Amino acid sequence: MKEFKILEIKESIFEDNNKQADLLRGELKNNKTFLLNLMSAPGSGKTTTVLKTIEALKNDMRIGVMEADIDSDVDAYAVAQTGTKVIQLHTGGMCHLDADMTKQGLEGLGTENLDFIILENVGNLVCPAEFDTGASKNAMILSVPEGDDKPLKYPLMFSIVDVLLINKIDALDYFDFDLEAVVERAKKLNPNIKIIPISARTGEGIDEWANWIRAEVRNWQE
Amino acid sequence: MHELGVVIKVAKTVENFAKVNGITDIDTIVLQIGQLSSMIPRYIEACYPAAVHGTILENTKLQIEVLPANGMCGNCGKVFNLIENKYCCPYCSGEDIELLSGKEFMIKEIIAC
Repeated sequence: MKEFKILEIKESIFEDNNKQADLLRGELKNNKTFLLNLMSAPGSGKTTTVLKTIEALKNDMRIGVMEADIDSDVDAYAVAQTGTKVIQLHTGGMCHLDADMTKQGLEGLGTENLDFIILENVGNLVCPAEFDTGASKNAMILSVPEGDDKPLKYPLMFSIVDVLLINKIDALDYFDFDLEAVVERAKKLNPNIKIIPISARTGEGIDEWANWIRAEVRNWQE
Repeated sequence: MHELGVVIKVAKTVENFAKVNGITDIDTIVLQIGQLSSMIPRYIEACYPAAVHGTILENTKLQIEVLPANGMCGNCGKVFNLIENKYCCPYCSGEDIELLSGKEFMIKEIIAC
């Protein structure tokens, strides 16, 4: 008869990811590379926003993009057309990126000589909020057609991001979207959140967004 | 459904622990999952056999302990369950709440020899 005993492990699986994320952030800080984790639901205009962001900043800094998707390379193709350094990551069915996958992506992309890297996370408002990728800052996009109740439905996402971009504001007239209610709901979850209404299609608000990035990259590189 | 990737990580962590501590025969793994964690116990159980297939954890039993989502009211200092009370203090209706537990996803222990 074998004698079984209880062995304590007490290891938090999220804790392990958090440790790796902190290590990665440290490396990025040393390399003077600012990594932005950009999250949103599918169809919120992430890739269009990324393209506008590149256009606004390409003369000020050296930019790289990591596109994370479950499958396909349509987003990476669109970004590559702008001449920006880009890598497509496939998560193989996983609904989020963790610090380990982000590190592998950065190694594949090569961070040397890059000031600013955008990580376009998997389109999903749930799981990416749970896993620290090691990014310098986190941003999310909520688009007008998705509705103003999203901070109520996905509170964790709204509470962990530094910036909330409210996209497709050129379509405000066509939807029952209460912009003030979103601002109030998001601030209740996250008093320090920076909220920038934009339209990636018309370019409205992109200047303010680009200025925020310039200031953050400068801070990071000091 | 992100449980599979996370359970594979659990399997790797336990395998490492077993290697380091010279353990060859594992009977049961005990996980602690908070009520506010995005990990659903039912799905963890469903994907466990696939996640441990071909590892030293194949044929081990899985036990899950659910940890309550408890918070402390910043106004009156009392502790209550957040889900049962919809994030609102049942004693003073305060909404300034400090989260005490509920987001955990831990490997608590293993039963082995």
